[in-house]
Amino acid sequence: MSDTTLAAASPPKKPDPIYVSSRREALAVAATTTLAFLYTVIVCGWMGYGRDPKTLTFVLGFPDWIFWGIVVPWSVCVVVSLYLGATFMKDEDLGEDDTTGIDDDQEGGAA
Amino acid sequence: MKTMLPLLAADSMPEVGFGAILALGVFVIASVWISMLANYATRSGSFMKSFFLGNRGLGSWALALTATVQSGGTFMGFPSYVYAHGWVVALWICGYMVVPITGFGILGKRLAQISRMTGAITVPDLFRARFHSPALGLIASLLIMFFMTTMMIAQFKAGAIVMKLSFPGSGSLTLAEDAATQIDYAYFVGLAVFSLTVIGYTLLGGFLAAVWTDLFQSVMMWFGILFLLFLAVSATGGPEIATRTIMENPNIGPAYALAPGFNSNAAFPGNEFLPLGLAASMFGLWVFTGLGSPAGMVRIMACKDTGTIRRSIYLLAIYNAGIYLPLVVICVCGRALLPDVAKSDEIIPRLAIHLTSGLPAGSFLAGLILAAPFGAVMATVSSYLVVISSGLVRDIYQRFINPHANEYQLARLSYWVMGVVGLIAVLANISPPKFLQVIVVFSGSGAGASFMVPALMLAFWRRSTVPGMIAGMLVGGGTVVSLYFVEIFRGLALATLGGLASSFYGMFPAQQIGPAQAMRAYYLFGIDPLIWGLLTSLIAGVTVSLLTKPLPDEVTARFFEDQTEPVTSPA
Repeated sequence: MSDTTLAAASPPKKPDPIYVSSRREALAVAATTTLAFLYTVIVCGWMGYGRDPKTLTFVLGFPDWIFWGIVVPWSVCVVVSLYLGATFMKDEDLGEDDTTGIDDDQEGGAA
Repeated sequence: MKTMLPLLAADSMPEVGFGAILALGVFVIASVWISMLANYATRSGSFMKSFFLGNRGLGSWALALTATVQSGGTFMGFPSYVYAHGWVVALWICGYMVVPITGFGILGKRLAQISRMTGAITVPDLFRARFHSPALGLIASLLIMFFMTTMMIAQFKAGAIVMKLSFPGSGSLTLAEDAATQIDYAYFVGLAVFSLTVIGYTLLGGFLAAVWTDLFQSVMMWFGILFLLFLAVSATGGPEIATRTIMENPNIGPAYALAPGFNSNAAFPGNEFLPLGLAASMFGLWVFTGLGSPAGMVRIMACKDTGTIRRSIYLLAIYNAGIYLPLVVICVCGRALLPDVAKSDEIIPRLAIHLTSGLPAGSFLAGLILAAPFGAVMATVSSYLVVISSGLVRDIYQRFINPHANEYQLARLSYWVMGVVGLIAVLANISPPKFLQVIVVFSGSGAGASFMVPALMLAFWRRSTVPGMIAGMLVGGGTVVSLYFVEIFRGLALATLGGLASSFYGMFPAQQIGPAQAMRAYYLFGIDPLIWGLLTSLIAGVTVSLLTKPLPDEVTARFFEDQTEPVTSPA
């Protein structure tokens, strides 16, 4: 039987469930990080750089650009971390530890 | 208009007396006691897995507070920057707002899963097993040993100097690399005590001793900082009054409250501490060095289960929120209260002594705050000793020299290797390296650029190949090393190589950004070297993988396909 026939005969396997959930969680984290990065750099760049010191005000003791550019997104990130850690991420079985010890593995990557 | 604070003259600052040396004693005793507990806890299971990985039993607190928190060296530099440059340092450090989710939420589960599937104990083990490639494992091991050894040797110096300066009457209070910290008798005593303590307790308890002492000092530091925050805010009336006081100070001015920050170093006129491009790349630096740190990856591999990883995210989020922004507020208040501290590295200890002088047992309380960097340095050295020793014993000896070594042989060799590695670090510090902080950042960035992209490829990209992984590691690390060397050797090259060097450095003109110090990196287009390292690592890793033959399905299937599907037997 040829390889092609074999491939046609065996249905594609489902992806590993931890791989799937990890990818989903990693994408959510990457999106949050990108948003936090863009917000912080844009707000701080706009309010903190080239600023006339006479226009500086304070919010809860922080210079206004620090408060809106860093304190606020940092607080939001704490809340998001709580949500991701407590609700969004799934608990999964990581499986048993492989205890076969040192194996005589072969070079698997073709150059 | 709110009232301004009276300025305190620099020569009226009190000294700490015996408080610091007493507090260091407490840290040393606590570390030895913790390592004895760790020794007891690691008596079950195989030697390699218990000594180098704590039997995969790390709980949430240990994982959260030790896997991504920066080294002692970095922690000491940060308050100094706030004191010197002002509020902009909050922007410099603010990448830590996402470190809890990036550090655990991106790679956590997959690293923990793949390390279990393969029985990997070290990071090179993981690469080797996932790609079935001894060559890849060896390259990973050599890179880790290069960057970790560099970092560890620098940390030994930090430990010795903190101990030396804590002696009563030293006249100085913390790590500062100048004439006051010359290499003398007291330095060697400090080096001996520090080395014996840290090597001794790591030998006793291995990986768990390193992690638990790290946890201990992290908790101490958290409470110490919140206590200091309360004292500093009470003494100044709050950060707004402190900031207005500094802005009115004719020697500092409004630049302290704005970006790109106050330039405190007269030797570098016109230097900008944090232009926006550098601020943007610093955001990524903290995220990526945490994500790509081999010492951090090992701790994730050692976690108990996925619940541990989840809980670590919010525990670390709360911890970071209580550390970094409060430290900024403390140091701004410190500048208002003590505007003329000659060595900015001394701001936390000076402030601690100043604010606790009227309290009962004030000297000891100040000493505990002074001892925190010592604890951080001990924890860092200890974890690197474990990573380097495991690299030599597991990745070199057991893999290439004696695959059939028994438990007794491995245990004996591990103790010997750890002792010898520690001794080499001590010998290297008899004539210690200069510019500790730069070496720490250089090693962390180099390791991050070498391993972050390859770790992501290992976890998520089935098409990645061995040559692609090797290219990603070498090109990423090489880029960071090159951008540091270009700047570090600028003066020497221009002085010795003449026209050739002049034309080369014509492409890399001298810069006036970043920390104003003699030894620093070259920020190509104003961006930190780590970001360039990651970018080149990504391009090299992906391109080379796509140009080379994919790994056979039988190698990759178990990492990417569901292995639990029921096998249907023929009727």
